[in-house]
Amino acid sequence: MEIRLKVRRQEAQSEYSSYSDYTVDMPEGATMLDALLQVRDYDDGSLALRYSCRSSICGSCAMRVNGRARLACKTKAVDMANGDEPIVVEPLGNMPVVKDLVTDMDVHWDKVRQITPWVENSGPEPEREHLVTHEVMLDVSNALSCIQCGACVSDCPVLEVDTSFIGPAAFAKAYRFVGDPRDDTTKERLQGLSATQGGIWDCTRCNMCVEVCPKDIRPMDRIMQLREKAVAAGVKENIGVRHGNSFAGSVRRLGRLDEIRLLPESVGMFNVPRLLSELPGAWRLFRAGKLPWQSAIPFMHKPIPGIKHVQRLYDQARNQKKEQAK
Amino acid sequence: MAVYTHDVLVVGAGLAGMRAAIEAARNGADVALVTKLHPMRSHSGAAQGGINAALGEEDSWESHAFDTVKGSDYLADQDAVEILTREAPANIIELERMGTTFSRVEDGRIAQRPFGGAGFPRTCFIADITGQAILHVVYEQVMKLGITVYEEYFCTSLIVEDGEVRGVVAMPLITGDLVIMQGKAVIMATGGLGRVYAPTTNAIACTGDGMAIAYMAGAPLQDMEFMQFHPTTLKDSGVLMTEGARGEGGHLLNSLGERFMEKYAPNKFELASRDVVSRGEQTEIEEGRGIDGCVLLDVRHLGEEKINERLWQIRELAIDLTNTDMVHEPVKVRPGAHYAMGGIKTNIDCASVMPGLFAAGECANVSVHGSNRLGGNSLLETIVFGRRAGESAARYSKEAASKAPVSEASLARDHTRIQQLVEGAGNSGERPAVIRGELGRMMREDVGIFRTKEQLESALAKVVELKERYQTVRLEDTGKVFNLDLLSIFELGGMLDIAHTMVAGALAREESRGAHTRRDFPERDDEKWMKHTIAHREEDGSPRLEYGDVTMTRWEPEVRTY
Amino acid sequence: MKYAFWPGCVSKGACPELYESMILISAKLGIELEEMYDGNCTGAGVISEHEPKLADMLNARNFAIAQKMGHDLVNICSTCQGVQSMVQEKLDRDEEYRAEINAQLAEEGLEYKPGLTIKNFMWVLVEDYGLDKLKEQVVRPLDGLRCGPFYGCYILRPSRILGMEEHPERDDYLEQIIEAVGGTAVDYEGKDKCCGFPILTNNRKNSLTQAGTHIGSAKDQGADCLVTPCPLCHLNLDAQQPSAAEVIQRELNVPIIHLPQLIGLALGIDPKLLRMNRHVVGTQAVLDKVLAAVEA
Repeated sequence: MEIRLKVRRQEAQSEYSSYSDYTVDMPEGATMLDALLQVRDYDDGSLALRYSCRSSICGSCAMRVNGRARLACKTKAVDMANGDEPIVVEPLGNMPVVKDLVTDMDVHWDKVRQITPWVENSGPEPEREHLVTHEVMLDVSNALSCIQCGACVSDCPVLEVDTSFIGPAAFAKAYRFVGDPRDDTTKERLQGLSATQGGIWDCTRCNMCVEVCPKDIRPMDRIMQLREKAVAAGVKENIGVRHGNSFAGSVRRLGRLDEIRLLPESVGMFNVPRLLSELPGAWRLFRAGKLPWQSAIPFMHKPIPGIKHVQRLYDQARNQKKEQAK
Repeated sequence: MAVYTHDVLVVGAGLAGMRAAIEAARNGADVALVTKLHPMRSHSGAAQGGINAALGEEDSWESHAFDTVKGSDYLADQDAVEILTREAPANIIELERMGTTFSRVEDGRIAQRPFGGAGFPRTCFIADITGQAILHVVYEQVMKLGITVYEEYFCTSLIVEDGEVRGVVAMPLITGDLVIMQGKAVIMATGGLGRVYAPTTNAIACTGDGMAIAYMAGAPLQDMEFMQFHPTTLKDSGVLMTEGARGEGGHLLNSLGERFMEKYAPNKFELASRDVVSRGEQTEIEEGRGIDGCVLLDVRHLGEEKINERLWQIRELAIDLTNTDMVHEPVKVRPGAHYAMGGIKTNIDCASVMPGLFAAGECANVSVHGSNRLGGNSLLETIVFGRRAGESAARYSKEAASKAPVSEASLARDHTRIQQLVEGAGNSGERPAVIRGELGRMMREDVGIFRTKEQLESALAKVVELKERYQTVRLEDTGKVFNLDLLSIFELGGMLDIAHTMVAGALAREESRGAHTRRDFPERDDEKWMKHTIAHREEDGSPRLEYGDVTMTRWEPEVRTY
Repeated sequence: MKYAFWPGCVSKGACPELYESMILISAKLGIELEEMYDGNCTGAGVISEHEPKLADMLNARNFAIAQKMGHDLVNICSTCQGVQSMVQEKLDRDEEYRAEINAQLAEEGLEYKPGLTIKNFMWVLVEDYGLDKLKEQVVRPLDGLRCGPFYGCYILRPSRILGMEEHPERDDYLEQIIEAVGGTAVDYEGKDKCCGFPILTNNRKNSLTQAGTHIGSAKDQGADCLVTPCPLCHLNLDAQQPSAAEVIQRELNVPIIHLPQLIGLALGIDPKLLRMNRHVVGTQAVLDKVLAAVEA
């Protein structure tokens, strides 16, 4: 099987990059890593890339293939081939390039170090192992099976615009501690993770990390679990939580979303500077006729016919939650 | 030229290396890890099935020790095995307290699964990502202790002055400029050498570097002829399918649909020790009862839920690499080169015969595995002997009087070597991949599960030939940053040296023991061969073999059946 | 062709032009919509953050209402689609959980039975209606109109729950529709990324930088407008565009068109009826181009 590759090349500390074209003959089941190693071994010894286990466990060979971060050893070349077009291979995004497909992953490891990446336990040590349930260990192990390959870091759109964002992989790592009953700093962790700058509430829930993750860690779901745990632990003093409460409150009241009250309720009714900064936007909406007239007057939204059933579901869900908490 | 100085240098940051570094730090040493990969990329992370310890009330360390000695075909040093098994439970508990997420049983205690060659279910696990999960946790501790890690630094040689190991020469991939790293003690923890075979379960990084540079510097390698072939590896890639698959109840079938292990191990079936199962498979394949050169690993009867919970990684690998979903069909597997029983000879405190050089993990041979390792004992070895190595090296570094700084001349040899390669770039020599490819094929064909004098003699001639051809190997990349071409040439030189010891040891050992099976000498011969092979490197690069006694404490050799 | 029609909250709130244009074009195309007047908000992924089970119950309620009506469910919002698909996957996979949720719905006489077909209008158009048939209805081909597709995250990801295996081209439908009505699909960085809307309140700067960057990259590729099947994206890309322009400090002024509006223009519907005037970023340039093409 003939595989055509177009690989981005870049020298160290150079802004300039170019593409090299290669054609290799590979067996049908060859992975992208097999193809690149074939190039490195026999065509061009100067091609730099990381690799090691070739069984998707060491996390070395994440790179962008056809525009999306993937693990080269888990990606079949035949699946990437697209007619006459060559397969485009590029380094991970959101981090500096060291050479060719090798990037500086410190961007990610620095974030990991920020989240206090070890179990903290100041209590007395148990006689033997801690007695914990299988289910909770399994849940934490699932998060722990993240191989730190950086695919999600590469493609996270929030990191593209804000380098202070902790990022999907480091949040998944954080979940591993928050979800671990042997750690006794859960609340402090959740407070730290809820920080205004770069914290869990800055995730846009775009699912990009879920999509590109080669190990099905679903980092975004971990972030959502962290949010749920933060709320449950009473870490609520932030816009993200108020946004959720306002949203849920509106649905309980009307069966639908009342987008007009969302903003003031989220940023805080008394957050005058922020509210003032939003006024031009609101005025633009109103002028464009995009605010239905009744929206301008609070309490004029009509609830849906079955609102009492919606409210019943709310109350049932919340009662169940309370009972579980007990 | 940069010079870095620490009390203890640990080369390699897999489980043995990191565990050693943690212990050295706890003992007050200024310790640094020097690794050619990032710690989380280490091949310890690929260990799937588990880690052994006699935790159960009805189990005992003696029983674990006996299984290990029997599994070793009585070549293991029994004092070392006693330490391994006696210290196992406390080490597992410590890992748990560090945060390892061991799978549990109902009452919240650590769960254990049956494994090959074991008389009791004593393998602790985290699904089938045991190595990776422990690697995470041990690296967490390295971060917690603030241990210095020199990531992506490749060690090119040991620095030996006045007969003592005083540090290493290393090449940071990021700059390509050699640096001197001074240390009063050096711990080798570089892992395995599987890449001398092709295919192998081992990562591409497993090129036996630590063994090679220690051997080059004068440290002898022990029992190198014993290479473990794992019974369940994928056909073309050689990727590992955990023993846990059989531990959980998976079957091995031949082309007739028979559970053929009944013939070879009527009591233990698939859970005999690995050498026995691999020989069984190979015999079936050679006698025409294989399928595409493989046998079948069948776990369908375990059901999707159990497979997803306990064998999720291998299910995914089989889908990715062979388009086989183990929930619905058996996967083709065959024996594949997996683990080097041999390594740098050490005593039970992990000290090599060279002052200042210690070793732990797969690159070492403290001889707990003898001629065949039991599944679940290698992770255990990294933790138990990693800890001991850290402690010993820290103690040694304190006792060592302060020394004059290492002279710059110590990196001259490697520097010259690089100069020559760069200057010779574009010559007519062969590319390293060509020589590496031939080495791997030769080792697979002639130094495999079954061996004969003819095969081994031919292998010996081939190694010598490849070494000769290596002298004019051709470098292509003359750049400095991340020069993997140069790295692969250094690795290949070491691999050829190591392969030489393996072939020579295998040719000399005229008996069958554990993983070393000679068709021309099918029986174990305790009278002549109950001894360790010790290989020293001669000036011309060829090995000189000596033999050493096996330490026996309480278990007399018996006929070995499963 | 008859569907249970879930308009979503935004088309009945801040984006009434979406609702109105949808009603107009469905009539013209002969797609019958029976509106789910009693449906409730899907939670947009927000409720599920705090109260996953509540979000599942609310969505199951919608599914059951559609089933009671006896039709497939069609929505006009990428976010609704994503949330609905996510919940449906969970309910269809886990019988026990489904029973638990259904027990709560029983009081209202509702029950969700697995296997409801839930489709965004964009999918309906390509898969049920057919692009050839759509082409036949075009009376005002949008020749020369360069449209940047903007999908919205939830209609693309996670792909495993969005039927991408069965319909691998679902990530290309917007382009196909744009071309079917005579326009030119513009490829640009950001067409499948996040508009930033979900964090508008929490981190305005990040949110608007995302919106502004994507609009800018489409503009750099020569797009006359963006077309989106998601009203939440529309809110950030259109209503917030002047603010986004300030944040990223570049002029944008790129009209953001709802998918039904684009179809409506091609079907010859009066732009006023499509409420093309109800946008923050004026759409006149788009209309000029479309009408000029017809006159020429």
